[in-house]
Amino acid sequence: MSPVRPRPAVERDSTPWWDALARHELVCARCAECGRWRWPPRALCGACGSLEWAFAPVSGAGTVASFVVNRHGFGGAFPLPSTVVLVRLAEQDDLLLPGGWSGAPDGAGLTIGLAVRVGFEDVPGDADADPYTLLSWRPA
Amino acid sequence: MNAAALRDRVAVVGVGRTPYSRDSGVSTQTLALRAVRAALDDAGLAHTDLDGVACHRVGDSVQAAIVAQSLGIRDLRYHLDLFGGGSQSHWVVGSAALAVATGVAECVVCWRAVNARSEFRMGGTGRAAPDTLEFQYQAPYWFATPPQQLAMYGRTYLDRHGVTAEDLGRVAIAQRAFAIDNERAVMRTPLTMDDYLASRPIVDPLRLYDCCLETDAAVAVVLTTTERARDLARPPVLIAGAACGGGTTLFSNGRGDLTVSAAADMAPRLFGQAGLTPADVDVAELYDAFTPLVLMQLEDYGFTDRGGAAAFVASGATARGGSLPVNTHGGHLSEGYVHGLNHVAEAVDQLRGDAGARQVPGARVALSTGQPGYVAGTTSALLLRSDR
Ligand SMILES: [Zn+2]
Repeated sequence: MSPVRPRPAVERDSTPWWDALARHELVCARCAECGRWRWPPRALCGACGSLEWAFAPVSGAGTVASFVVNRHGFGGAFPLPSTVVLVRLAEQDDLLLPGGWSGAPDGAGLTIGLAVRVGFEDVPGDADADPYTLLSWRPA
Repeated sequence: MNAAALRDRVAVVGVGRTPYSRDSGVSTQTLALRAVRAALDDAGLAHTDLDGVACHRVGDSVQAAIVAQSLGIRDLRYHLDLFGGGSQSHWVVGSAALAVATGVAECVVCWRAVNARSEFRMGGTGRAAPDTLEFQYQAPYWFATPPQQLAMYGRTYLDRHGVTAEDLGRVAIAQRAFAIDNERAVMRTPLTMDDYLASRPIVDPLRLYDCCLETDAAVAVVLTTTERARDLARPPVLIAGAACGGGTTLFSNGRGDLTVSAAADMAPRLFGQAGLTPADVDVAELYDAFTPLVLMQLEDYGFTDRGGAAAFVASGATARGGSLPVNTHGGHLSEGYVHGLNHVAEAVDQLRGDAGARQVPGARVALSTGQPGYVAGTTSALLLRSDR
């Protein structure tokens, strides 16, 4: 069995986020009252309680909060090795996003705290599915 | 608010388990009812004594309502069917205890029933997506299973404190040594450091022996009032404290520091509720889906200073004869993985003096914990004490 990448299960709250990614733009939810960032999109600000918010562009700069390297294929479901990074965006200390890594599949050279910059990977569509875009982080 | 309102008012009076296996050959409904019946038998109670049911599950097990129906409970006074995995495990019991303490119900059974090896593998990718909106942001990166998620958090802790593979290995080895004396345990052969280090990598920084055993099993415990418990067959084990707390997701979560779990915020409240301190704890059953969680919780529950857990384990403190034996049944790593309920059951065994060759002499206070809030966004734990 060759690995089949799970497609994102896009839902009502996240559609604008995935659409932005397809334009190679990284956005996060930002409170219109207090300015605090949050992600994924949630209807209410946990800091000030406001329901007013909008997606807003972030700088695309961040640091590696952590990373893992897949060594076990879970029955052939995962390509091996493969690396997933958890990025802490520059905008806010607790603004974390999992994503792909554009560097070596075994994560060589990755360290916690490494400065990274956002990149994008376009996944082509086929007869049954539309194309979509994923995060692919790279060294800053 | 009366923080001590629950203290010692409710008791665990019965414990039941099915065998632990790689293939139970029966449904989770059958597993649940067998464990419930075993717990009732242990307590000297009948199914007709029950007026409440509680379980947790992630779409992988029989509904609580079906178990209640099967038990013939017509006047169902308390019912809980909590969505979640190990992080919720101890709040199933804690919440049921609140129902008993307030008189909403008098006798509640709590269980977890899983065919986690033969039917629904938490670590597998063939399962349905969890009922969360967040899965869409992980799965496309082949980031979908608990070992990957916990490796992500675990690495931050290892990196912060310079914790080595050998440090993790010592956790697995100490627990295996207890499992050898546990006839229920799935893994009973001695584990050496060479075995540990040679075990295959799963997801860096975790090896095979850092990971729990997906198991088919059910575990149940029966609760009633302490007053009634004192008239029953077995020595009551009192719920001195029960708490739930927040968590640390892989997204924006208000907790930028991933090296400290949400249990650190909850622990003072739990100990305060029970009128106990970490120094009072004789035995700790710490949620161990993966080895780093054991080290982190030793710090988060206040048994050691920050960064001190690896040295604490290396000193032998958590092993047999140590000052704080940990996971005396072998834990999820070596006994089996019943998502936290087997930790509660082992704590009860220890406080009753029922633990046989792995008994901690004179154990009077036990801490039993759920997953400390990573991924799920909540955590939970119990402080139990003997009535002697
Ligand atoms: Zn706000």
